[in-house]
Amino acid sequence: MPPRGSKKAVAAAPRQTLVLDNGGYSIKAGLVSTQASTPPSYDDCTVHPNCIARSVRDKRTYTSSELDKCVDFGELAFRRPVEKGFIVNWEAERAIWEHEFMGGEGLRCNPKEANLLLMEKPNCPKELQKNCDEIVFEQFEFAAYYRCVGPTLNAYHPYDPTETSLSALPQECLLIIDTSYSDTTILPLYQGQLIQSAVRRLAVGGKLLTNYLKELSSLRHYNMMEETYLLNEIKEAVSFVAPSTQAFIKDLDRTWKGRLGDKRELDSTIVVDYVLPDYERSVHGYARPHDPVKSKMRRGLQPLQGPREDLLPLGNERFAVPELIFNPTDIGIKEVGLPQAIMESLANLPEALRIGMLANIVVVGGNSVIPGFMERLEFELRPLVPAGYILGLKKAEDPIRHTWLGAARFASQPELLKNVLVEKAEYDERGSGWLVRKFGGDLK
Amino acid sequence: MPHVELLPNSTSTAAPGWTYVVDTGYDPSKVAINPKDRKRTAARPGGARGENELSARQQTAIARRIAELDRDNDPKQSISVPGKLAAPKTQNARRILQYQRQIKHWLDDEEAQLSQQQQAPIPRATARGSIATAGPRRQSTMASIPPTPSEATPAPPTFAVPAPPKVQGSSMSQEDALLSTASAMPPPLDPAELQALLSAPSLSYAASHVGPPAPGGPPQRQFCDNCGYWGKIKCLRCGARVCGMECKDAHEATRCLKWT
Ligand SMILES: [Zn+2]
Ligand SMILES: [Zn+2]
Repeated sequence: MPPRGSKKAVAAAPRQTLVLDNGGYSIKAGLVSTQASTPPSYDDCTVHPNCIARSVRDKRTYTSSELDKCVDFGELAFRRPVEKGFIVNWEAERAIWEHEFMGGEGLRCNPKEANLLLMEKPNCPKELQKNCDEIVFEQFEFAAYYRCVGPTLNAYHPYDPTETSLSALPQECLLIIDTSYSDTTILPLYQGQLIQSAVRRLAVGGKLLTNYLKELSSLRHYNMMEETYLLNEIKEAVSFVAPSTQAFIKDLDRTWKGRLGDKRELDSTIVVDYVLPDYERSVHGYARPHDPVKSKMRRGLQPLQGPREDLLPLGNERFAVPELIFNPTDIGIKEVGLPQAIMESLANLPEALRIGMLANIVVVGGNSVIPGFMERLEFELRPLVPAGYILGLKKAEDPIRHTWLGAARFASQPELLKNVLVEKAEYDERGSGWLVRKFGGDLK
Repeated sequence: MPHVELLPNSTSTAAPGWTYVVDTGYDPSKVAINPKDRKRTAARPGGARGENELSARQQTAIARRIAELDRDNDPKQSISVPGKLAAPKTQNARRILQYQRQIKHWLDDEEAQLSQQQQAPIPRATARGSIATAGPRRQSTMASIPPTPSEATPAPPTFAVPAPPKVQGSSMSQEDALLSTASAMPPPLDPAELQALLSAPSLSYAASHVGPPAPGGPPQRQFCDNCGYWGKIKCLRCGARVCGMECKDAHEATRCLKWT
């Protein structure tokens, strides 16, 4: 239900807002109206790859969602406009936005008649923010615009999913763990406002995990350094997080080949063979339990006639790769693991807030989908939380699109939107330096 | 087919330069079962710690490898934007659309700017009591720039509030600090403190990274560079670890000295 009594104030701003969660791997996007009869839902959000890909095989270039049409991901090279979570290359980002949101297909948004709500990562360098604002108003010419740290808008989700009224929002205390492609960030929110000095970042994100798996597979089996797409697919298919350090140690033992003269049987409840796609008959691969006989028949030993298979055996890679989120030092990254990082962030807050934050932790981002992630986080976090404190930890219903939906709920309420939007005329008058300070909370 | 090549996985020439690491007590499996054991190991003078120390060359090698794993774009690949795009509408837009800089350059600029600001005299009113000046933050290997002595001078805060205690270099961990206050009821929120917290500016990118594990904690786990099992043997040439003789051969044939 749209709130009443604010018609006059919003008359100037367009009713439609393009809500963009512009991630390093994918863009979550949708048009949100302040006059819709129902609140926004996940159905209003589409997810597009935030990249331009080039195939040396078919010599084609794929912009964002055109990748849906790709049938040969072999040696596919990617150009990503977002680096470490921030928009760095506007030439490519512009091409993707125009293709997805302003072209003949897709969202068909006319920027001159729409607001833009653009979400960014925390701790963005100011020069990049300035570039962003200038492109939004000077190149795209959006009618009005708001840029903010995306996960903060998660405070606009109803705490109780059955509760449809948005009146009690934002939530008082909320601790967002955003474990995404670029990195993992910890964001304490009070009344929907980010406590900037307590935001902490762990360098480990989905990109690093995929690249690590690519490195390990290339070292141990085949040179797959050009197969980023495939290794990402394999990572998503086989990864799991060991439920505890003890379980990690056990699993490591069960997947060890043994010594010369003392060979061990690999535990096929953990070790899998990934059947690689050949990009002729199959576009995607799949995993199945390890079969020592079949895996010995490497390329060249298989019959030339009939179906051939290329197998990638995966043992400790399945759990040693996502383990980096909990033990970054395993590859020499000098950072504490996620549970300790959460406590480091909270150490910057007064005790009353710490209690509130620990009771209201919500995890978003793609890495939280890895089986075992939440269990391990809870297992390691609990002993760090003082006795008598409540630990409330949950994974968002849809970790990829949760932040977008929070933002969409915010954007559907005209009186909230009106407080934050800056119109193009005001930008033209005051300039981008002013706007960076305004969105940074340095004015007023 | 994806592009895959078989790799050589062993070699018959055994180069010198290997040593068994004398096991001075760090056995990861034992540490996990009996956590008390690790304290003794760490406290023992001249214990396992020396074996875990890295040379400057090894540290550079690790930092390079991590930077490689964390990279978003391959600078060797240039993919041009397909199709024809309309001309930039303003001078600003033209300049920004032409940038071919990487994130590294922007972060370096940010750090350079911050250290310049710090060298400039700080107005008295803002020098004290700002919550954002939360003391020096340790850098992770991910930061592209040496640590800055403190955060940027923030906008003048409306309220003067003592910075929250940040335990550093002391034996008391932050978790212990939390525990010690658990029995008492938390003091109510001080509105001035809250206001200062909420108005504190953001940290720089480099300063936002979490710190390294506290000294005195369990030592870094060491894995076989080839197969990923525990790394008990150390390569004297490059410092990598392997699990046994078989993986030692493979390491020498493939990765030894790759990152140096
Ligand atoms: Zn090994
Ligand atoms: Zn070596």
